[in-house]
Amino acid sequence: MLTFVLFAAMLGAGGEQGSSRLAVIDRAADFSLTSQDEKTVRLADLRGKVLLVSFIFTTCNGACPATTHRMCQVQGALKARGLLRDQRVHLLSITLDPARDTPAVLKAYMQLYDCDPESWTFLTGSPERVNKVIKEWGMWARAAANGQLDHPSRVFLVDPRGRIREIYNLQFLKAAWVVEDVGLLLRESR
Amino acid sequence: MPRYFGRLGAGVLLAAMLAGVLALWTNLAADAETCLSPFVKRLNRPEKFLYVFCLDAHAKNHDFLAVVDVDMDSPKYGRLLYKLDLGSSGNETHHFGFTDDRSHIWGCSLFSSRLFLIDVASNPAEPKLVKVLEDVPATTGLTGPHSAYALPGRMLFSFLGGRDGDTPAGLAEFTNDGKFIRRLDLPSDAPYMYDVAVKPELNRMVTSSFTPPANYKKPMAQMDFKHFGKELLVWDFRKRQILDRLTMGAAPLECRWSLKEAANHGFTNCALDDSVWMWQGDENGRYTSRKLFSTGKLPADLRQSPDDRFLYVSCFMSNEIQQWDVSDLEHPKLTSTVVPGVQPNMMHVTGDGKRMYITNSLLSTLDHAGTFWVRLAHIGPDGVKMDPFFHVKLNDIAGGPARGHDMLLY
Repeated sequence: MLTFVLFAAMLGAGGEQGSSRLAVIDRAADFSLTSQDEKTVRLADLRGKVLLVSFIFTTCNGACPATTHRMCQVQGALKARGLLRDQRVHLLSITLDPARDTPAVLKAYMQLYDCDPESWTFLTGSPERVNKVIKEWGMWARAAANGQLDHPSRVFLVDPRGRIREIYNLQFLKAAWVVEDVGLLLRESR
Repeated sequence: MPRYFGRLGAGVLLAAMLAGVLALWTNLAADAETCLSPFVKRLNRPEKFLYVFCLDAHAKNHDFLAVVDVDMDSPKYGRLLYKLDLGSSGNETHHFGFTDDRSHIWGCSLFSSRLFLIDVASNPAEPKLVKVLEDVPATTGLTGPHSAYALPGRMLFSFLGGRDGDTPAGLAEFTNDGKFIRRLDLPSDAPYMYDVAVKPELNRMVTSSFTPPANYKKPMAQMDFKHFGKELLVWDFRKRQILDRLTMGAAPLECRWSLKEAANHGFTNCALDDSVWMWQGDENGRYTSRKLFSTGKLPADLRQSPDDRFLYVSCFMSNEIQQWDVSDLEHPKLTSTVVPGVQPNMMHVTGDGKRMYITNSLLSTLDHAGTFWVRLAHIGPDGVKMDPFFHVKLNDIAGGPARGHDMLLY
């Protein structure tokens, strides 16, 4: 699965927008979380990369499997276009259920979905830390009547300057369009 | 599972299951509520609350969001439960729309240009006013916000006028919590705006035409009826660029894409032409328009059934709601007519297509009825029938009378 973090910086009237078709939506909130390999990953350390970010949890039986599967397709498409070669593009998946999704659980989940860890990292952390990230990214997760977590299904595209530039809805997430958008951000940052 | 099935087999099985989940999830969305942005999370249960965007009939008391109990199992069914005070009057509160996650509603004001952000998820029975954007014209250079249309993680608003209240109109994007992102301008020879609708799988967006605030704020006798648009613009959605410009009947209002996946046509009600028109894309990416059928007088709203078979048209000046079968686009058929009361206007059809809520205020400068209400119609094999018992009388509420306009379900 590919997780891209897409940040689009928000432009005020006449601010940073420029002429790009991908508007600067907002600044991506920084975080410091733990990867599936138990390493610390800070968003600030990923500056200079185009990122695709999703929010999922491993026991989800709703949209998350489809999100992860779709991201996997995107990772494959990016690889086929040679866009993963120089490590300027990376995917992130942040858990919505930090209590259950430990690094080991995330690692097993990645293997189940064949996510290539070379360019895709899954993240967790303490509930306080993860919940802060969820909130700052405009996401939420609420207990549903069926024991699952209800949550929006958004995938964020972040540019090398740490700005959210696109937000995708899972239902209309096409690998070809994501590849196009990633390519545009890479060209813009040269 | 046999050992020889192996990792490859497991991967294929998993992919098939995921594809099935995605297909099922997509189909569930397609059979659900209509006339909402496709990016809005669908209601997957029967409705419990009907939100009605209301304005004080005399523009003296504050405008408000009404909450009506529409849970059929509730002892308070059909009653007004709560009024959320919006804190100001004279707004001409008109249309509103959910954010993509259905947690909030953004409400638009045609006169004051205020935008209201309302939390409906924390307590759906008693929504909370979170924020009011007062400086929208200064921020965007636009006035008269009309449609609040959800995009993933943000909102797209159509505006009916420019900074001075006249054309050119435009569109503006905001984050879900109200930070301005960008404005989209219109060409000088197609400067009118009304509604917007996206067909994501085709990467297409359409916008329609009305008249600017400088005109619609006048009493009807003083309005310039030559200062109304008749264009429908077709856009490349991802590039936010206009691809085609179609001429429709005068004042094409609501934009309704066909609900069939990848169907490249849609419908609009032309209020000053007493007709419904359609737009159609071809395999070369070009679009054409034609009149589909004539309606009653002043078709003010247009709704769809979830199976894409029927269109519902409210005829504001002939007091009727028409149901049209458009399964054969060469031979649309009027299949049912109902008279809910004087000047029916906004409609809201439920996700199962069996109920339609109706209000009866268009614009305070155009209304001619003295009595305002929320009513319910049932839709079945024998057409549209009024519920004789469901009747929220907006003249009789505390602080009333009030004009009810747009509606959403929770």
